[in-house]
Amino acid sequence: MSSLPCGTRNYSYAEDMAIFRTKTQWALLIGLLILLMIGPLFVGNFWLNKINLIGITLIAATGLNILVGYCGQLSIGQVGFIAVGAYTSTILTSKLGLPFPVSFVCSGLMAGIIGLMFAIPSVRVKGFYLAIASIAAQFIIVWVISKWTGLTGGSNGMLVPDASIGGLVFNTQKSFYYLIIGVAVVCIFLAKNLARTRVGRAFIAIRDNDLAAEVMGINLFYYKMLAFFIGCFMAGIAGSLLAHWSVSISPDNFSFSESILYVGIIIIGGLGTTLGPILGVVLIRLMQVGVTQATPWLQSTLPGMPNGFATGITPMLFGLIIVLFLIFEPRGLAHRWNLFKASYRLWPFSY
Amino acid sequence: MKRKLSLLVLLLTLVSMIALMVGCSSTANIAGKELKLGAIMPVTGPAAEKGKPGIDALLDVIEYINKEKGGAGGYQIKLDWKDSAYNAANVNTIVTDYTNSGVLMFAAMSSFEMTNAKGIANKAGLPGLAVFTAASLYNPPEHIYGQMPEYGDDWVAFANYYMQNIWKGSGKPKMALHLLNNTTGSSVKDVAKAKAEAMGIDIVDIEEHAATTISESDSLTRIKAANPDVIFISSTPQPTSIILKNAKDLGLTSKTVTIGLAHASFTKALIDLAGADVVEGVYGVFPTVTWDDKAPGIAKAKEYLMKNHPGDAGNMDYLSLWCTGLVSAEILKNAVQAVGYDVLAKGDATAWKAVEEQGFQKLNYNVGGIQGAVSYTAGDNRLAKTVKLYTIKSGAITAIGDWVTAR
Amino acid sequence: MAELTQFIITGLAVGMVYALIALGFTLIWKSTGVANLALGQLVLLCSWFTYSMMHQLHLSIWLAFPAVVLFALVVGWVIERFALRPLIGQPILSLIAVTLGLGYFISGMVSFIWPQSIAALPQIFPKNPVHIGGAVISQEYVWAAGISLLVFTLLSLFYKYHRMGIAMRATADDQMAVQACGIPVTRIFSMSWMFACVVAAVGGILISSIGGISNGLVETGLKTFSVVILGGLDSFGGSMIAGPIIGLAKSLGTGYLTPYLWPEFGEVIPYIIIVFVIIFKPFGLFGEKRIERI
Repeated sequence: MSSLPCGTRNYSYAEDMAIFRTKTQWALLIGLLILLMIGPLFVGNFWLNKINLIGITLIAATGLNILVGYCGQLSIGQVGFIAVGAYTSTILTSKLGLPFPVSFVCSGLMAGIIGLMFAIPSVRVKGFYLAIASIAAQFIIVWVISKWTGLTGGSNGMLVPDASIGGLVFNTQKSFYYLIIGVAVVCIFLAKNLARTRVGRAFIAIRDNDLAAEVMGINLFYYKMLAFFIGCFMAGIAGSLLAHWSVSISPDNFSFSESILYVGIIIIGGLGTTLGPILGVVLIRLMQVGVTQATPWLQSTLPGMPNGFATGITPMLFGLIIVLFLIFEPRGLAHRWNLFKASYRLWPFSY
Repeated sequence: MKRKLSLLVLLLTLVSMIALMVGCSSTANIAGKELKLGAIMPVTGPAAEKGKPGIDALLDVIEYINKEKGGAGGYQIKLDWKDSAYNAANVNTIVTDYTNSGVLMFAAMSSFEMTNAKGIANKAGLPGLAVFTAASLYNPPEHIYGQMPEYGDDWVAFANYYMQNIWKGSGKPKMALHLLNNTTGSSVKDVAKAKAEAMGIDIVDIEEHAATTISESDSLTRIKAANPDVIFISSTPQPTSIILKNAKDLGLTSKTVTIGLAHASFTKALIDLAGADVVEGVYGVFPTVTWDDKAPGIAKAKEYLMKNHPGDAGNMDYLSLWCTGLVSAEILKNAVQAVGYDVLAKGDATAWKAVEEQGFQKLNYNVGGIQGAVSYTAGDNRLAKTVKLYTIKSGAITAIGDWVTAR
Repeated sequence: MAELTQFIITGLAVGMVYALIALGFTLIWKSTGVANLALGQLVLLCSWFTYSMMHQLHLSIWLAFPAVVLFALVVGWVIERFALRPLIGQPILSLIAVTLGLGYFISGMVSFIWPQSIAALPQIFPKNPVHIGGAVISQEYVWAAGISLLVFTLLSLFYKYHRMGIAMRATADDQMAVQACGIPVTRIFSMSWMFACVVAAVGGILISSIGGISNGLVETGLKTFSVVILGGLDSFGGSMIAGPIIGLAKSLGTGYLTPYLWPEFGEVIPYIIIVFVIIFKPFGLFGEKRIERI
């Protein structure tokens, strides 16, 4: 019954370091991938649409998690970089007529480069002081986008052409599903592995104590910049997907409160874990779906309630659940999951 | 520890259950013989002051149509409204849901929401009715229609009125614009830049402000330095009240310059916020009549307002959305009479095409006299083309003259 | 010249209003190390409560104000007791995320209790504007500036001389050491949240007497983050100086740079300043420099 790695013996370093160490894990992985592949066959457009949004959010949140969770650089401007990616991709495909794969990569690079510009202060400051540089990034980027009307259409927004790779056009929820989930899986896989490399260990060292890290010979400037670049790159490609998926974009898509929500997502999920952003994104986005669906439903099923009941109660519940989750699990959902796994492995012989 | 865990699991399941249950119920197909109307409303969030009375009105008017008028062409209208919370991602998912849940057409209250919804709706061919509109929504005309004239039309109507009735000087009058930094403002800016020259108006200054401003003395000082004869503001009530108050301190009142407002801010809330003395003599453009008008359609609106939502008394957004319900019902009635229920019941691209061609484009309806009559002319997706001019006299919004054609 | 004075006076006054809200943020940061993301919602809640007192119960401002202060104290106590105290000793980011959840909760509560969403406070300050030099400004701004100076002075004195204030500073410095000295840390946290809510309430009354009450107040609250960080997170004086700097940058930027750049340039000037400030002065203008040891 050595289904999960508990009491398994490893005979080589490679075996010990593998992410998937037992046959059961491989089976679970393959099962999950197959499930992801055939999922759209069983799920209607309603849920596919939500899953696509979850996927896009997840890509950006994974990037933010590398920056905040692994490298410890608090950033409250992720949505600003998503905006850079979205507009870069839109402008490249609609005005210059470049193919989607090129604009997709360019949007990541562009967001990364602009991220580097705002990352320069990170060399000198940390904690909440750094957060303000990212807040500034958010406001300055959105301001430039909404005022540079010649290029971006200003507040009227832009129409985004269909994304296509070769002859494959992504214009339905189902086709987008494969694109988005594909990119998301690759991003998560990269993030998981990045944390286990030299770079990832350097990030963690910087997070835990940057002075000590520097003394040990870690180049702070280089690694902090790298973390910003990776985090913003992922925001950029998420932005590119978001733009093509939502067909039209305007500066209003990229609000500051959404940026704050991103930080909330990765904290609730669990900082510095690969699983954390996934759990956080799924929880928050599903709750938002619940809120959107529940308000009119409440209004029609409970007509006798006071005037503000239906519209007030759903945000209240939304906030309350966030608060309760954090009170009961301050280290994030991923932490709880790990505890659960550990107790499952040891059961029934718990110590 | 165990109890904590169980509580957590309980919470999780509860949340997902609610989401699932409600989500599935909304994807269910049309039950009975109903025509499904979507509506995206900013009921919570930063625009709640407009969305809340808006949804009250929409619920009331659909109740009225279903109960007293027997629905649209004999079929009950089912209102499938959603709260966008003024959030673009929400709008995206809501409108995508509409494209595959049997909705025949949808209304979106603010131009913000329609700006974010139009891409998906146009691509799918789902016809949409924008309540408060901006030119960019149907330029080029596709599947989005404007219930009301847009903010740029307000400017044209006001400028025409100004040139004919107020401007007595020689040469060109100098006009300054103070605009909100979104489509509410940019529509006016685009039209003013294009037409001012031909109308004989000199635009001397264009200022923009954010919705969250707490002082506009700085930008108004610049306006004052340009020494304008007339100021036009296109914004929402709160920033407008701040602009008007600051302008008064600087000596720019309706006694010294003419002040005109576009319809997003010209409501009772503005008078409450700014104070009656500040707004005295200010001109405004609005696409509906006021509550004390004698228009034949007003009585029913008043009856339902008093019965269901007395708290919204005097609210202009309520009237606008009341009209949305009437216009939508008329569109659906036209469509269902032309092609029959079975075509519409599918709620797919053919149904939408029918709604658009037989409903929207065959419109010829006077909306009970509450707003300008709606009709369609090819190549122009604005359904109503007339607005009314008002001025604020001793704290009350008073109409000047009859409906005027915006452009 | 008259324009310049107008820009300066406007900028200073608006900056002081921002500074007042920022004080509420600094207060909590200074003694608990938590960034309060629900600041805007607290301002909104207290403004609505003031509206209820003055408009629905027809109390005069002299009666309404103590009621609002009492209400703010209760809100602060409840928030600390039930949302933040269970998290003492947990990672600081979790506490920050709790305030995010609180923000949603409070804004839901506000639209539950006050569904009208927009309202004007009854006139509190005299209407006629004040003339300073060649400049004109509404009394509301002058009062707001004055009151924020007063609150600032009171808070500074309290932190400098009062036993509790000193204990608060000590707590911010080293929680463990303070606990070892027998100072009740929980009570200090509770007190700082209560104070912060009162400051938010005062700020709310002032800001909504200028532009009425609406959900836009939440975003105004968020905007004050720039003031806080420019001044230094843990410095009252910093907030008080950074506020006017940002206000000035905004009004002078709008006044003189708009013709050469895109409109509304004043809105982003503060952020551009901030980026440069943190490059050259990493702890804000007046923030406490931390000596780092390994």
